[in-house]
Amino acid sequence: MKFIAHKRSRAVQAWLKKEMSEQKNRYLKIVGEQEALTPKRDKWISDFLYRIQTRGVHVHSNQMRKVAPEEIPVKPKRKFKVVF
Amino acid sequence: MARPHIEPFVDRDVPFKKMTLPGFPKGMHYKMLSLDTDDGACTMTCLFEPGYRQPPGMSYTEYELFIMSGSIKVGEKVWGPGSYFFVPAGIAIEELSSPRGATGLIFYNYGEPSFIESTRDHKNAERNRFAAVNSYDDMQWTSTNFYPATAPGCMVKILRFDPRTQGFTFLYCMTPNFWQDNISYHDCCEEAYHIWGTSWMMQFGDLPTGGYFWRPPYINHGAFASKLGILAIGRTDTQLYNHFHFNPWTNIEENRDRAANRIMQWKPDLYKWINTHGHNHPIDFEYDHGHAHGDMPHHHGDGHVEHNHKKKRRRR
Repeated sequence: MKFIAHKRSRAVQAWLKKEMSEQKNRYLKIVGEQEALTPKRDKWISDFLYRIQTRGVHVHSNQMRKVAPEEIPVKPKRKFKVVF
Repeated sequence: MARPHIEPFVDRDVPFKKMTLPGFPKGMHYKMLSLDTDDGACTMTCLFEPGYRQPPGMSYTEYELFIMSGSIKVGEKVWGPGSYFFVPAGIAIEELSSPRGATGLIFYNYGEPSFIESTRDHKNAERNRFAAVNSYDDMQWTSTNFYPATAPGCMVKILRFDPRTQGFTFLYCMTPNFWQDNISYHDCCEEAYHIWGTSWMMQFGDLPTGGYFWRPPYINHGAFASKLGILAIGRTDTQLYNHFHFNPWTNIEENRDRAANRIMQWKPDLYKWINTHGHNHPIDFEYDHGHAHGDMPHHHGDGHVEHNHKKKRRRR
């Protein structure tokens, strides 16, 4: 048994409502901060795509393989986001 | 589970709040890390003031407690940093006190935080599932033993494993100068908290001490690196499989589609059977049918993956 059914008191409901509201604000702040990170992230991605062609990509544990230039994915035109 | 994607969040940036929920004694403080908007399940950093005393009692939901600093006393036994407790719903634990104070993490798994004073277990409580261990002193690091595995230098201590869902709670560490050049996603929710150290992920940047994430399934993360190493605690709700790839721009739908296609390749007979009409309500003969609250979600082919059954009225 993972949970015991019970009735929530008004105090608990109010607490949850407040916490949910605060979480919504935290989420929006994270989305904003992550969007601001875009220029740095673009550079990190560019560096990563270079490294997996020269040093290799991890496949399993310490097993790596070098990725051929024609395998490198192309950035799609759609909006790119990392927080969903 | 309905928690938003919280990544990254650093709890050092926010102050502790007093725990004001009914039932909880004075002297407990918390920082909310993530909260399920459906059932109130949540993960919190917690602080017990010096002199904190909580009488014997139980919770309506199973929960996990991990001590990060200081110590607590449960009954007569003192538990210091690294101590981990898995407490099933309805299990009454002895008086919990903290003469000198402590900080920790609490994971309420299936409902909002609750505390009901009691010296006896609830009649349906599963005492045999209770677990307590000092993970720093009494457990050793092992390799991850997944296939495909993370790069060498990432090690784990498994604190709890649910044999049915294969969800688990674990400590993990990265050695200094750890690096792993691929992108990963999982079929499960994953959450983690940095007890010490900073790691970097290509999507989110640095996650320092006090850094936390709750990540829903199929979200890309990685490449990974850590200059000085880290110590962290992590959890999943179901089986963790590393779907590795190297396309930074895939989205949740594409990742899920790929995962489903892989199941089709790996288990073609089962995949075909599940997709055949009428076979979407599989029953595990080792368990009850699954209508008990808190059991695995299932559906009857009507598109509602998670639902509750109303009690049928008896005819007189």
